[in-house]
Amino acid sequence: MSEINVPQMLWPRNMNELPKEMFVREDIFNLERERIFRGAEWHAVAHASEVPAAGDFKTFDVGGVPLLIVHSVDGVIRVFYNSCAHRGNQIETETFGNRKTFQCPYHRWTFGSDGKLIGCPNSDQYSPGFSRDNYPLNSPRTARFCDLIFITMSQDTPPLEDWLGPVKDTIREALGDSPLRLLGYQKVSFKANWKALSDNDGYHAPLLHKAFAMLKWQGGKGRQFMDMNRGHIGYEGEIKPVGQTSLVKDASIISFRESDPFKGASRIVNLFPVTGIVKHLDIINIRFTIAVNVEDTECHFVYFAKADDDESMVRQRIRQSSNLLGPCGMVSMEDASIFHRIHIGSHTPGNAIFQKGVRSVDRLESEVGQNDESGNLARWEYYRKLMGFARSAV
Amino acid sequence: MNRPSTNDVGLIDDLQARYIHALDSKNFRAWADTFSSAPDAAYFCISAENVERDLPIALMYDDCRDRIEDRIVFIEKIWVDTFQDYRTRHFIQRTHCDALASGIYVVETNFSILYTPETGRSDVQVVGVYKDEVVIEADGARFKSRRAIYDTVVLPRYIVYPF
Repeated sequence: MSEINVPQMLWPRNMNELPKEMFVREDIFNLERERIFRGAEWHAVAHASEVPAAGDFKTFDVGGVPLLIVHSVDGVIRVFYNSCAHRGNQIETETFGNRKTFQCPYHRWTFGSDGKLIGCPNSDQYSPGFSRDNYPLNSPRTARFCDLIFITMSQDTPPLEDWLGPVKDTIREALGDSPLRLLGYQKVSFKANWKALSDNDGYHAPLLHKAFAMLKWQGGKGRQFMDMNRGHIGYEGEIKPVGQTSLVKDASIISFRESDPFKGASRIVNLFPVTGIVKHLDIINIRFTIAVNVEDTECHFVYFAKADDDESMVRQRIRQSSNLLGPCGMVSMEDASIFHRIHIGSHTPGNAIFQKGVRSVDRLESEVGQNDESGNLARWEYYRKLMGFARSAV
Repeated sequence: MNRPSTNDVGLIDDLQARYIHALDSKNFRAWADTFSSAPDAAYFCISAENVERDLPIALMYDDCRDRIEDRIVFIEKIWVDTFQDYRTRHFIQRTHCDALASGIYVVETNFSILYTPETGRSDVQVVGVYKDEVVIEADGARFKSRRAIYDTVVLPRYIVYPF
């Protein structure tokens, strides 16, 4: 995109205001693809336990770019562009599976699970000097942290651990030190801009999700902290069990069983731009998100057990994961409808205003209370700078 | 292959009609009453992708009678007034019915659900197959378990009501 065509948007002067139009403008979305999704950020595309065996693969999408994540026969998990090294045909059409080789049906070029070209018919008639060695499946830059596989399509992205910064320990505490075992997926599509999902805040939780009040379920001590350089948000809190309740007959889905080194701890990390990592009660959840277009966002809720959990613990995790915090969860279903309505409402003029927890409209904070909405503002400032939007002087 | 009696097939089809009528008219008490009163009566709503991979996570995991009852509480007490409502219409086709034991049948039924939000534009919500265990009781047939296995890999918008 040449500089002359870069879309502009005037950002309000006050730190707690955001222009609503950025949720709905297609030209902004296209710029986000370039600057964020294909830009100098890391994007989580899989957890190693989703592809546990040699040959296991998963397909995913970042910024409209199709990706193929493969547990290669040599044990390494690699990420390839899902596109034949020959004429660019999509290599794998399934969302998951197991293959030792990947063949493009168009001209039968065949690749090993390590991406090397191992077969190409009629190669004696190819251009002079042709060598298979020069035509592996192409890869974006790949890195791994806590068994999470990340990619970036930019050479300018700093090393992954630097990019993760202060939320690194929170991720480690959320996912634990022992290996995880995949329990399954809930895949849904929201009729909303991707930024509405990642703008979900601490203020709304006890208000929108009535189950908290009905259960008299109050959080223990907690805090949100911000990575002022990269837009990540971390949350740490105590888990307080629900007391006696007559609201539900089966209270086991709101019980807490796990005994691990971080007992009593809830951990949430929202990585910029869209990945969510959640450890709450006995739920271990990663939310992989695809910004499909300006008004469609796909979210894959992926749930895990610990590999060494006993049978009853696995059962507890399955029941709680399915019914509590996902798209049909007791304390979360309402979010999807709100995303939808934010998208409709954002087609009106003016700004979205943040109030709860805002102590000054002139500066950002690196730590706020657990039920503040101001925790998102540092992320918005990072977004604004990344997108090159000027802040109004008045 | 044990062919079901014509009378039992009639009772099973009547059960399916009661199930659909209950959901499409949002009578969730009547929905729960299509399930056996046994403590282990179960309703699951799970993706075909998870089933194929032998992964247990479901969209709705009501593995006991109490959980089925609690789903009514989710819908009518907890989530009420937080979402834009929508109408549903279920369309079904029974494809398989086999007697497992006396008065117990395994039944498979294709389903599609169309939905219409308040703004009026109708669309497909989800497509899949019900895999059921049905018991013939004194006053009619009921689900011992119903598994709504949906083909739709990515569900649209938001889901409030059971499939």
